[in-house]
Amino acid sequence: MDSIIDIILKFVAITVAFTVVLLIVAYTVLAERRVLAFIQGRLGPNRVGFGGALQPFADLLKFIFKEDIVPDKSTRFIYFLAPVIATMAALMTMIVYPFGPETQIPLLGSLPLSIARFDVALLYVLGVTSVGVYGIALAGWSSNNKYSLMGGLRSSAQMISYELALGLSLIGVILLAGTLDLQTIVEMQSRWHGAGWFILLQPLGFVIYLIAAIAETNRVPFDLPEAETELVAGFHTEYSAMKFALFFLAEYINMFTVSMLATTLFLGGWNVPFADVIFTRGSFFFGLVSVIGFLFKVIFFLFLYIWLRGTLPRFRFDQLMNFGWKFLLPVALLNIFLTATVLVFFDVI
Amino acid sequence: MLVLLFILFAALAIGCALAVVAQRNPLYSAISLIGVFISLACLYVMLAAPFIAAVQVIVYAGAIMVLVVFVIMLLNVEQEEHRRSRMKFLVPAAVVLAAILTAEATFIIYFVEKSPVKPTSSVSDIGLTSSIGGSLFTSYLLPFEITSILLLMAIVGAMTLARRLKETSSGVAVVPGTTVLPLHLLDPTAPLDEPLAVEAYGTDEVAKLLDITDEHDPSKRD
Repeated sequence: MDSIIDIILKFVAITVAFTVVLLIVAYTVLAERRVLAFIQGRLGPNRVGFGGALQPFADLLKFIFKEDIVPDKSTRFIYFLAPVIATMAALMTMIVYPFGPETQIPLLGSLPLSIARFDVALLYVLGVTSVGVYGIALAGWSSNNKYSLMGGLRSSAQMISYELALGLSLIGVILLAGTLDLQTIVEMQSRWHGAGWFILLQPLGFVIYLIAAIAETNRVPFDLPEAETELVAGFHTEYSAMKFALFFLAEYINMFTVSMLATTLFLGGWNVPFADVIFTRGSFFFGLVSVIGFLFKVIFFLFLYIWLRGTLPRFRFDQLMNFGWKFLLPVALLNIFLTATVLVFFDVI
Repeated sequence: MLVLLFILFAALAIGCALAVVAQRNPLYSAISLIGVFISLACLYVMLAAPFIAAVQVIVYAGAIMVLVVFVIMLLNVEQEEHRRSRMKFLVPAAVVLAAILTAEATFIIYFVEKSPVKPTSSVSDIGLTSSIGGSLFTSYLLPFEITSILLLMAIVGAMTLARRLKETSSGVAVVPGTTVLPLHLLDPTAPLDEPLAVEAYGTDEVAKLLDITDEHDPSKRD
């Protein structure tokens, strides 16, 4: 009986989390268009709803009603499978993040504000992310279009190259925390009234992670896979209607999840500095403030993405590879070496 | 509950494994193999070995199979045709090997059932990351380091193979991407012992360096 209630609670938690995240993702798209327009001195979409507030839903309706074109010589099964893999891999990482601390919720009692807690949460995130490469590679191949293939290959090569630097940049935090469990990592940052963020101890790791994460999500200035001027639209050139929307969604969910990981590991997760001075730990309002703080930090990263897109030009492909392998990777290794050395001689934690 | 999940993932693993062999399209086989790896990872999770499960997904599904898929895509391997005539001896060999495998499995199951030692605790910390890390760096340090040196050797070997300097004669070397030629090969008037070599990326560039005007140069054609 208990297990059934547990499953139902988990189901509700997953539904709530996914709905909230998808809503934020939808509004990220709108925010991106409005902010980019502001940076470029335009207005952006401001007609549907108040200040364009209903634009995401209008876009969704348009995606649904567009004609779904399948290229004649495509490999049909894989062509259909690719967007599904991309979206699933993007969504699956969401279950491990702690959105807030254990909180007293009216009628339900004390509950942890996360969906799942397990020993290898961080490795799970990396594993699921690495499966996401298939969505892009297979999409590029199955479309039977040279631009798609080039985009898919570029994208996969880029993601594999930067995954190394990304993984290595996290090892500094793992060394400090001594665990792969994201909730324990966040709880370890609760020192000094919730201001003991790991970015203070791992500034280099944070910068490497940020750069590698931008490359992982194929965003400006690393958006070579869909370099419009060279490849039409990269791996999703042949995709239309809802299947294109799935790729679009996957990209933005990936942005959201890497931002959540950065927040969790480096910016203290749900820790809001000095929130425990005002509210008692474990109370409902403390939980509420923590969740809002968490979302605020994530949204800051999303804004950073948009800001970069409005500011920076695109890398050349050889520059991208040289930067990833010859600069970012050695610096990440250096960071691990420094962290390990300091941890041996000083008791930081 | 656990049994249902086991049946689900085991069936998925076996189904995908059959698909790997049965598919004619090599890319479908590769995708089925990824399915096998992922269902195996799910089984590892159920066996209380989350670390192995995560590594299984990261290393096999995330890295090795990506390379396999890349190779299939780039070489554009065509669908395998019906090749009954060749390699006919494989059919009896397969039957014999399958029989041996089945016998082995039966043998193992029989003796595991008979053995008095039953696994007692369903909850163990053997599969957790910290215990694996602890034993890797203490009791199994030597095998661990030897494996890492083996991997390093593989990387170095691949690098040397990829950019091997091929000696043709003294003072001549061919590097992929860059062509280095002795001067007397290009310019017959140069003395044979002329040490100067020309380094260039293409014949046009060599010609320009040596002041050789090509009479077939399209820009000089009337």
